Amino acid sequence: MTLHVSPPDTALEPAPLLSAAGVSRFYGERIGCEGVSFDLWPGEVLGIVGESGSGKSTLLRCLAGIDRPDEGEVLFRGGAEPLDIYSVPEQERRRLMRTAWGIVHQNPRDGLRMDVSAGGNVGERLMDRGDRHYGQIRERALDWLSRVEIAGARIDDRPRQFSGGMQQRLQIARVLVSEPRLVFMDEPTGGLDVSVQARLLDLLRVLVRDLGLAAIIVTHDLAVARLLTDRLMVMKDGHVVEQGLTDQVLDDPHHAYTQLLTSAVLTV
Amino acid sequence: MTTMIRVENVTKAFTLHNQGGVRLPVFDDVNFSVEAGEALVLAGASGAGKSSLLRILYGNYLPSAGHIHITHAGRPVDIVTAVPRTVLDIRRRTLGFVSQFLRVIPRVSALDIVRDPLLARGISPDQASERAKAMLARLNLPERLWNLAPATFSGGEQQRVNIARSFVDPSAIMLIDEPTASLDAANRDVVVELIAEARAKGSAIVGIFHDEAVREKVATRYLDITAFRKAA
Repeated sequence: MTLHVSPPDTALEPAPLLSAAGVSRFYGERIGCEGVSFDLWPGEVLGIVGESGSGKSTLLRCLAGIDRPDEGEVLFRGGAEPLDIYSVPEQERRRLMRTAWGIVHQNPRDGLRMDVSAGGNVGERLMDRGDRHYGQIRERALDWLSRVEIAGARIDDRPRQFSGGMQQRLQIARVLVSEPRLVFMDEPTGGLDVSVQARLLDLLRVLVRDLGLAAIIVTHDLAVARLLTDRLMVMKDGHVVEQGLTDQVLDDPHHAYTQLLTSAVLTV
Repeated sequence: MTTMIRVENVTKAFTLHNQGGVRLPVFDDVNFSVEAGEALVLAGASGAGKSSLLRILYGNYLPSAGHIHITHAGRPVDIVTAVPRTVLDIRRRTLGFVSQFLRVIPRVSALDIVRDPLLARGISPDQASERAKAMLARLNLPERLWNLAPATFSGGEQQRVNIARSFVDPSAIMLIDEPTASLDAANRDVVVELIAEARAKGSAIVGIFHDEAVREKVATRYLDITAFRKAA
């Protein structure tokens, strides 16, 4: 495993890739998330942290085009013109989600087709975007399986024959093969053994940097946030209570809740 | 002379919200500048805030008030108010931090850790490897360790990997926190030489050195930060 090369200087990129403005979602009387605004720039990795029920997954679903927010808008700049993802037709939004975006679910079963071979799971995304050459698709699938450290000999096996860690790596290959510009990840290492987590984290770290991906990662694990993200938003009761550079938020937290979160971590 | 860091009216206090909101003042209204080629050594008793000041210069701690102007790509940029991606760009290209601890990343070898900043700055892989190996050899890290991940290395070995990474291509500004804490005399001398060489190439250095002999060899100027302690 080689160490990543840092991405090219993104400080002078002209426009954010994704902009959220006043994004809110309510469940009856209860606030899912409220008034969330931020810009995400190309190549930037944003972490959303907070405990269960803080609204971080609700926010992610709004940002990723899965659940329509009750208020606010989400702009995506894939081309020259920014696109309000909830004002375009459903079909257009789905096309965007298949091509320009990727979503890595916490449970690989939500992101994989369990009755389709590993190669088919990876190749399907390529066919979605219009690739038709079987040989090339299989070759790309093999390349991606090796990048996520799955032996090529397993290409025809079904995901249900894989361990949890392998399933998660396969899901990541399926998402990244179509070269999305923006990836959403919901607790990507949740539910995995610690030793498996470390390998997956290292893999994600290298891939995100090498591909210059922009990503939004929801996690309750501050160590994951520190390793993978550039910036953090800390959520509590549906609101962003603190945000900034990841190491600054974790090492010099200012909000009472962030201080509580960071002081609750046991160091080993 | 080129001013690389200009600290303007910097004040720092920690407010501990979960411990009764107690406010711990660290220092008040700090002002100083560091020029290219200088080595400013922070002095003051333990607890005076030397490390806090160094972390503020790096953008790791946020001051309660004031500004830090870092000369980045020829222009002053206030790292206190800069957005995260600008801070990261400043760190990648201008501002290095050398601590006594290596943040170990699973599965990455010592050689790759040292090579990384060279590759990030566009140096060819072959040349980067050559320079990284030369630096590890200079810091007397046994060659059999170069291709291993440092997780199992001793404290002193990890520290030398960290120093090699920091000095293989010195940044225009180097912030150094106790780099020689667990090194033997021979390796301490290598670190002193590396700092002098970086300075000769024009790096501006701000450092904390516990070891008095090292401090005296390195410093071109001292700043006693106890002077900025707020009168209680």
